[in-house]
Amino acid sequence: MVRAVALYGLTLVVVVTIVFSLPRGMPGDPIQARTDAAGPDAITDEATRARLLAYYKLDRPLLAQYRNYLGRIVRGDLGWSISRNEPVRDIIGQHLPWTLLLTGTALAVSSATSFAAGIGAAWRRGRARDILMVAAMTGARVLPAYVVATVLLLIFAVSFPVLPLAGAQTPFADYANPVAAMVDIGRYLILPSTALALGQLGGKFLVVRNTTISVLGQDYMLLARAKGLSDRQLKYRHAGRNALLPFMTMLGLHVGFAVSGALFVETVFGYPGMGSLVLDAVKKVDYPLLEGCFLTLAGAVLLVNLIIELVYTRVDPRVSASR
Amino acid sequence: MSAAEAEPPCPSAVVGRSGRAAHRDVGTRRDRRIPVLGWVGFALVLMFVIMGLGASRLAGYRVIELAGKPLRPPSLSHLLGTNLVGQDLATQLFQGARTSLFMAVAAGGGTVVVGVVVGMLAGWTGGPTDAVLLRVMDIFLVIPGLPLLVVLGAYVGPSMTGVAIIIIATAWPATARLIRAQVLSLRPRAHLRASVGFGAGTIQVLRRHVLPEVTLVAVAAFVASAGWAVMIESGLAFLGLGDPLRASWGRTIRDALNFHSLFFSGAWKWWLLPPVLCVALFLLGLTFCGIALEQRVNPRVARHAVAPGARP
Repeated sequence: MVRAVALYGLTLVVVVTIVFSLPRGMPGDPIQARTDAAGPDAITDEATRARLLAYYKLDRPLLAQYRNYLGRIVRGDLGWSISRNEPVRDIIGQHLPWTLLLTGTALAVSSATSFAAGIGAAWRRGRARDILMVAAMTGARVLPAYVVATVLLLIFAVSFPVLPLAGAQTPFADYANPVAAMVDIGRYLILPSTALALGQLGGKFLVVRNTTISVLGQDYMLLARAKGLSDRQLKYRHAGRNALLPFMTMLGLHVGFAVSGALFVETVFGYPGMGSLVLDAVKKVDYPLLEGCFLTLAGAVLLVNLIIELVYTRVDPRVSASR
Repeated sequence: MSAAEAEPPCPSAVVGRSGRAAHRDVGTRRDRRIPVLGWVGFALVLMFVIMGLGASRLAGYRVIELAGKPLRPPSLSHLLGTNLVGQDLATQLFQGARTSLFMAVAAGGGTVVVGVVVGMLAGWTGGPTDAVLLRVMDIFLVIPGLPLLVVLGAYVGPSMTGVAIIIIATAWPATARLIRAQVLSLRPRAHLRASVGFGAGTIQVLRRHVLPEVTLVAVAAFVASAGWAVMIESGLAFLGLGDPLRASWGRTIRDALNFHSLFFSGAWKWWLLPPVLCVALFLLGLTFCGIALEQRVNPRVARHAVAPGARP
């Protein structure tokens, strides 16, 4: 357990270092972005430019900048967005819940579906339904998330406008009660989370199916069957529980995939989450915002991975015993 | 109870572990199915290779050339019509295949080269080197890939080589882990120990004896990495982070979706559909090749595919 925490701590330090060093090598700089003479708040004189560079401490040596940066992150201060003129933490605070909602829903839906479907397919492997499911899941896996998202958008929001086109809730809505708010947000959530879940489904399904097949070939399954256990018991208590372990190790990786997929899906649906924010920050060369976004996303993914690893030792007694 | 007896729910795995009927059933059916899948995949990939290599000859125009009147339906001079500003869509499709092919070969190949070198070193040397390399792989595996790619993409700038390099930078650990595991299983082999005993150095052993053994795994890893590279390239182009001067299926899709009356004019049939199909079919072809290769490479999968307990 200490090992796991140490590993993820080290990873976090690497992430912070990458986050710090990359934007400083990017082409252009944020002050330069505002020297466009046509802009409303153009900076044309060198003195103002120097003053701004000094204000953002961009004129200091890199090492000093790095030390300063680490100190601020430890204090939970992610800096001040240059393009939006707001604290980065506040901007992320507005966007992060939407991404958490979206990826969380998609992960839960895709995990439950793929697990049930994977066991079902393995149980009847070689049959028509299994082959059909493998084909469908492989298809779902190879289609890029943005293509799936676009197709869903076109079918359910453009051709048959039953669901909202873009956004996360009705603009300027004044909800009478919390239930109405939930219904509204849920309606906006259906398409993006389905698109994201569909992209997640294939990989997980194949893992569950393959591990279940190998579990089904074990001697103890033959014994359990010989004892006269019912199909349900065989399927879920014996095969399912054993297939759960490789599935959970996969899940950690899939959290990262889900966050990646959310970037595309949010772009297509105009969902006000972290994905849209990251792209906006890249376009506007906004160092602090980009740093904060990536750091938050990476930190969240690492945290979930750590939790999964800790839970994993609970689910599988053998893991903790071997350490 | 009788229903369960009439139709055993799990024919081969539980009941027929050593049963001849189940053995034959699974064995023959699967043995035939997988090669067909592999051939289909190979044919699909070959089609795109031809399309990509012959792009300049097949395409009648240059990518950014204003080749005709805007928004024309398909005709003899414009096989897939033209887009909003009059660029030839067939040209974009062919040149997009070239971009994807380049990315598949360059980024997929680079990923495998880095992965094989690091994986062999880690697996063979063991000890502290292995521990450090493994940590590095673990660290890079848990960092969410696409946000990192977007940040890196903005950093490197919109160039093909740049995109290829950042794909390699984020994708190599998966391959390295695969190769490392394979090398670990090779380590106790007698001929390797013998060659070390005769005084062969690390590089000599790795090149002469280990490399041939991991080649098949490396080829499978290449197919997987190539698919990943194609997906990421089109994805970055879709997000508007690709090279603006090069054709890319992702960018054609993006342009098509930005055209507001795409679905009222029927233009989606020759503007949106072809690139979407190309991305899907290319990835599907690579996946099929990968599945076929996996059957050859991974003894676990292969064994279960043939028959449980049917070990030679």
